[in-house]
Amino acid sequence: MIKLVEVSKVYHRGPEAIQALDHLSLQIDSGEFVAVTGKSGCGKSTLLHIIGGLESVSRGRVFLDGCDLAHLREPERTRFRRDRVGVVFQSFNLLPLLTLEENVALPRVLQGASYDQARQEAANWLEEVGLSGRQGHKPHQVSGGEMQRAAIARALINQPAVILADEPTGNLDSVTAAQILTLFSHLHRQWGKTIILVSHAPEAGQAADRVLRLADGRLLA
Amino acid sequence: MRAWLFRISFSHLAQYPGRTLLGILGIALGTAVYLSISLAAASALQSFQVGVTAVAGQAQWRIQSPGAPLDEALFVKVRRLASVAAAAPAVESVLELAGVYRGPVLLLGIDPFSERPFRDYEFSHAVGLSDTAWTEVLTRPDAVLVSGPLASRLGLKVGDALGVMVGPRRQALRVAGIFTSRSGLYPLDGAVLLMDIGPAQELLDRVGGLDYIDVIGAGPPAEVQRRLQAALPPGVEVVRPAAEVRRTEGLVASYRLNLAVLSAIALFVGMFLIYQSVTLSVVRRRREIGLLRTLGMTPGQVLFLFLAEGLASGLVGGLLGLGLGVGLARGVLAVMTQNLSSLYMPVAAQEVGVQGGLLLQAWGLAVAATLLAAYLPAREAARTQLRAVWHREELEEKIESKAGLIFGWGLVALVLAGVGAYAKINDGPPWPGFVAAFLILLGFALFTPLAARLLGQGLQPVLRKILGPAGDLGCRYLAGSLSRSAVSIAALACALGMLIAVTVMIGSFRQTVNDWVSRAISGDIFFGPAVFSTAAYDQYLPPEVLAELRRDPDVADIYLYRCVRIPFKDRYILVIGGSFEVLARHGGLWFRQGDTREIMERVGRVEGGGEGAGVRGQGSGKDNFATSRSNDDNPEPGTQNPKPAAGQVVISEPLAETLHLQEGGTISLPTPSGPQPLTIAGVFYDYRTDGPSVWMDISLFRRFWRDTHLNAVRLYLKDPARVPQVQARLQERYGGRYRLLALSHRDLRKGILRIFDETFALTYALEGVAVVVAVFGIITTFLVLIRERVRDLALLQAIGASRRQILGMVLVESGLAGGLSFGLGAACGSVLSLLLIFVINKQAFGWTIQLHFTPAIYWQTLILVLTLSLAAAAYPAWRAIQPHLAAILKEE
Repeated sequence: MIKLVEVSKVYHRGPEAIQALDHLSLQIDSGEFVAVTGKSGCGKSTLLHIIGGLESVSRGRVFLDGCDLAHLREPERTRFRRDRVGVVFQSFNLLPLLTLEENVALPRVLQGASYDQARQEAANWLEEVGLSGRQGHKPHQVSGGEMQRAAIARALINQPAVILADEPTGNLDSVTAAQILTLFSHLHRQWGKTIILVSHAPEAGQAADRVLRLADGRLLA
Repeated sequence: MRAWLFRISFSHLAQYPGRTLLGILGIALGTAVYLSISLAAASALQSFQVGVTAVAGQAQWRIQSPGAPLDEALFVKVRRLASVAAAAPAVESVLELAGVYRGPVLLLGIDPFSERPFRDYEFSHAVGLSDTAWTEVLTRPDAVLVSGPLASRLGLKVGDALGVMVGPRRQALRVAGIFTSRSGLYPLDGAVLLMDIGPAQELLDRVGGLDYIDVIGAGPPAEVQRRLQAALPPGVEVVRPAAEVRRTEGLVASYRLNLAVLSAIALFVGMFLIYQSVTLSVVRRRREIGLLRTLGMTPGQVLFLFLAEGLASGLVGGLLGLGLGVGLARGVLAVMTQNLSSLYMPVAAQEVGVQGGLLLQAWGLAVAATLLAAYLPAREAARTQLRAVWHREELEEKIESKAGLIFGWGLVALVLAGVGAYAKINDGPPWPGFVAAFLILLGFALFTPLAARLLGQGLQPVLRKILGPAGDLGCRYLAGSLSRSAVSIAALACALGMLIAVTVMIGSFRQTVNDWVSRAISGDIFFGPAVFSTAAYDQYLPPEVLAELRRDPDVADIYLYRCVRIPFKDRYILVIGGSFEVLARHGGLWFRQGDTREIMERVGRVEGGGEGAGVRGQGSGKDNFATSRSNDDNPEPGTQNPKPAAGQVVISEPLAETLHLQEGGTISLPTPSGPQPLTIAGVFYDYRTDGPSVWMDISLFRRFWRDTHLNAVRLYLKDPARVPQVQARLQERYGGRYRLLALSHRDLRKGILRIFDETFALTYALEGVAVVVAVFGIITTFLVLIRERVRDLALLQAIGASRRQILGMVLVESGLAGGLSFGLGAACGSVLSLLLIFVINKQAFGWTIQLHFTPAIYWQTLILVLTLSLAAAAYPAWRAIQPHLAAILKEE
């Protein structure tokens, strides 16, 4: 279960203070598929990054299965990101140096698995996301949709409690975007993962159990 | 192309100030080193030329006898010749100041009544030079005129006493006046004393002798020379005064050329920096190139855009380098002056002459080097297709796929280097050797992409097992970032290669010289005048000292030594007379072939010989220098001169190499007794630097030179264990009476090796600068690589890599890059050292150097390069893993 209590996040750009999240409280149950929507700059991505331990809060507290993220030091935060969360980015963020299979295997290797084991699992996950036969390709050799599928497989390989997807369809055409959303739905049904998907696309809401709307860093009723 | 388009390039330079600055600094340092060496060498030689010009004055011809004084009666004979408008006799010697201020001073003994047509412009328009002063010069045997610069340096005024060392004696002179040269030209940087010729001859122990007679001809020059030569006795030659400058330039040409080439290495390494900088710029701006091409920019314009970027660094770096170079030149000149004085001739240049031509040359070289370095990546940018915007990964794949081909080109470069190394040169600088050295550097640089790929791929499984993901990813990044890292690795490898090569060469040379001192220079004590340089051939051992030494109960054997320097062909050589019989008893010389004892005996066997025989020469008097030249031009071994050999000699290896002479051949030597055809009994290893030499038995030398002086003696003691006692006794007995110096064999060895180390200090400094420039490259590389990889590093953190793992990954990559630089550099350096030792040195100086590897330089270099590589990567990596993950990952 994810719980945010009175979370605020303020960015400072020179003399200017930007309030990305403003006393936001919410709770997301395990296994829930939540879509977070809102206009550009409303704080959607910030919310996701805070839940994923990629950013710290200015005020308030964040709990994941009872674990208070504010109290985690960097090594614990690293383990948290590695073991408890899987992140999917808008711009895929695959390492260009590695093949798709190696990209997917990487979190498992970082977790301590052997390479052979990690690559075997990566192959399975690539098959799961419909990329069997593409293991040996490097990111620039495949399409945007395929890159995003690989990124999703990478987010899943460590069996995290939560999948965080930050505008995963933002760089894709509408047909591919629809396929990716379908994939998320499938994964949610198949594996029962908690998924928080940030998007400004209305289609994202249709795939989710619940839709949270953000405006100016606050949740709309 | 509109000028404002170049603002795109310049704004990119400004956007990455650190990288731009390092590139500029690299070029600036390279330019500065090159310029400082050029300026210092030119200033040192100019100082010498100025001296010759000032002394020569209006003289058109100079009459001299090679390595021997002229009979002063000749002056009267010459002056009376119809073809002579004016003549002036002179004696000269470089003495040492004996007061608080030390250093060389040129004593010129002149005839004031003959001087006016010659050196009137230089000396007689003197300030403060009154008739009284001239009268004093003519009447007092100790009166001298002191040059203005020397007087102001020493704070001298008329009436002061001035102490000088004349060989072993301290002599007090009196300042009769101070002269200045209106043109400002002085020999030896202004340290000049003028004296009447009579007292000067007495002072220098040359009564009745002249060093030269200057002549102004009356008639066509060729005719004047012909008539003069015809009127002169055998062994006396007529030369242009400028010939001395040319021969001196020839003496130091190899020294100068080697320094110039070494100084260019830093600039060569700087080229890698520019190449790397422009390549990185092209890679980073691939989208911009595509956009500009879409908007209508032609490939040529793209080419110019990127060339402009390199050119800007070259222009600015070159300018900075000029300023820095002029500043450095003063320090370099001090070292060079010391080297030249120790090795070749007294040089006293203190002021660096800033020559516009050299500044322009250095700046032009910097600009040309940067343009050349920028051309390849700029051409790549211009070739970028509109349709296929250049993905970095595609570039990496392209380089990866071409790594084998590039390696092949490296092999071709090495093969060509081999051809260059075996190319024979007849005369002049060893350019094929230098080209071969460049090709070796290039060859190993071209090995880098394939070597980096293979190293990364080969070590990946091993380091993965040992270090986990950090080892795995570090290897992958090394093998997968060739477009960025290979150039830096190559640059560092080249710099390290040169450093290792030069160190191995110097180490080998030092060891060889050390062996040579042990094997070829026998003697327990070396005893002679305490002279300041190797060029003091007119400093003698007082005759009475020899008589006393012969009676010394500790002395078993005495080796007599006499040396003169004579012009021979287009250079100076040394002719040395020594007691070969004595030398043969104590090991002899170190011959490159033949039986030492047999050779020494042949040379020592002189008909009608005997020490101090003083026999008249046997030259026919009809041969002249031209004849001897034609004889020497036939270098076939065993060549028989039509005239029977006048004796047997041995020659030094540098002489044999430079004039293509061999054992059994003949050398026709100009002597005061006329040209003498001499059989070459052997060729010996010799590492003295003041000239190639011909050695003969001292009785033969005296027969030809009619000269009974000795420069020094070597003493062989009955009990070598008593060296310290005998040395102390000699010093006590003669140190006060004369200024003589008794050196033990160990002292001599130490002295020789000290001069050796001083000589090569400059070389080490030059290589050090090249390494610094290469280190700039490594720092730039990792700054850029990590800056570009910030997103990858953030992603790794986002998916769970710890900071330690990321740091480990970067350090593995940089450590491998450093290790590979070392590996390539060590291999390249080892091959280069062989080239330097067996080809370039042999061609430039004629020395055979025995190869002695210096293991220390390998591990020292490895530690240095690994430390630098790791440090260069650690800081930017640490900065890159600070927590801004979300922002970085969000950026497009």
